[in-house]
Amino acid sequence: MKLIVLTPDEKAFEGEVERVVLPGVDGDFEVLVNHAPLISALGEGEVMITAADKQVTKMKISGGFFEVLNNNLSLAAEQVIAE
Amino acid sequence: MANLKEVRERISSVKSTQQITKAMKMVAAAKLRRAQQAIVQLRPYSNKLSEILSNILSNLGSDVESSFGVVRPVKSALVVIITSNRGLCGAFNSSVIKQSLTLIKEKYAEQRKAGKLSVLFIGKKGYDYYKSRYTDLNLISDHALMVGKDFSFEHSSGLSAQLMEEFETGKYDAIDIVYGQFKNAAIQNFIVEPFLPVAPPKADNKEGKDKELMADFIFQPDKTEILDHLIPTILKTQFHKTILDSNASEHGARMTAMDNATENAQELLRDLKINYNKARQEAITSEISEIVGGVAALEGA
Repeated sequence: MKLIVLTPDEKAFEGEVERVVLPGVDGDFEVLVNHAPLISALGEGEVMITAADKQVTKMKISGGFFEVLNNNLSLAAEQVIAE
Repeated sequence: MANLKEVRERISSVKSTQQITKAMKMVAAAKLRRAQQAIVQLRPYSNKLSEILSNILSNLGSDVESSFGVVRPVKSALVVIITSNRGLCGAFNSSVIKQSLTLIKEKYAEQRKAGKLSVLFIGKKGYDYYKSRYTDLNLISDHALMVGKDFSFEHSSGLSAQLMEEFETGKYDAIDIVYGQFKNAAIQNFIVEPFLPVAPPKADNKEGKDKELMADFIFQPDKTEILDHLIPTILKTQFHKTILDSNASEHGARMTAMDNATENAQELLRDLKINYNKARQEAITSEISEIVGGVAALEGA
């Protein structure tokens, strides 16, 4: 499945991923392949992306929105700080 | 006819001015490219937000109530004026100021009389103009120098969040933005854009057709709560976009202005050169006639 991370200033991440852990406003949750369509508001916290080649990318966000549709994941965050 | 030395000095001074305007044009062109890039970078983000918004709205089925859409009788108002920090950009700043003056004198005359009109400046030039002339207005210059070298979303979101809060708490009943909207490098539209209150978003009927592929979304936490987060974010993004637009407009205006200046200098140089050559030729002619006259006088003796 494909993930794209957008911020107002840049495209912070784009690529094939295996799993993503996200900080929802109600608590962290994880998205795997073939997840049902979802729209979620995100709080402040850490996003953990495991890419298709098992490489793990962590980034901090200050809140944002997340959408899953047909294995296309998009994350729109106000601010992304890579770790 | 001006004397030779004077014209020569004039030519060299026009030449050096021309070099400066040429360099400024080049710099403005490079900055314009970067400013346009920033607008392009913002687009996928804002598109995604409006996509999510329309998804929610089409699933919600009813109209949305938002605290940012409340229309109150306008007792106190805020005008945000976005100008540049520097001059030499043609009519850019004066056009923005002119537009803002019309707004203040026509739409907000009452609020002004009651002393309830505030003006917030982004960009030094606007504040410079207002500070001595309009002391009856409540001028806010804290953010005048906000748009600096590496201006990012982080910078503008603090201010837009503050404005939204001030609207919600009732400090202002209406907030308008005056700025130069970027059309292309040569054209800017100087407009007044209402920032708050915003008309609550409506589900778009036209898009309803593509919604067949819009699956049954799970909304986390729930639709209204997502909207509560989403609407401020969209407003922030809009506010950011206006500043980026104004920035690009400024560089576009400066580029055109400097291009004109360079051309004018070229024309001036041509005239001066003709003058110079005329003066030189005249000097030669009078010298020759003096020699000829001298020879004739000697021969006659």
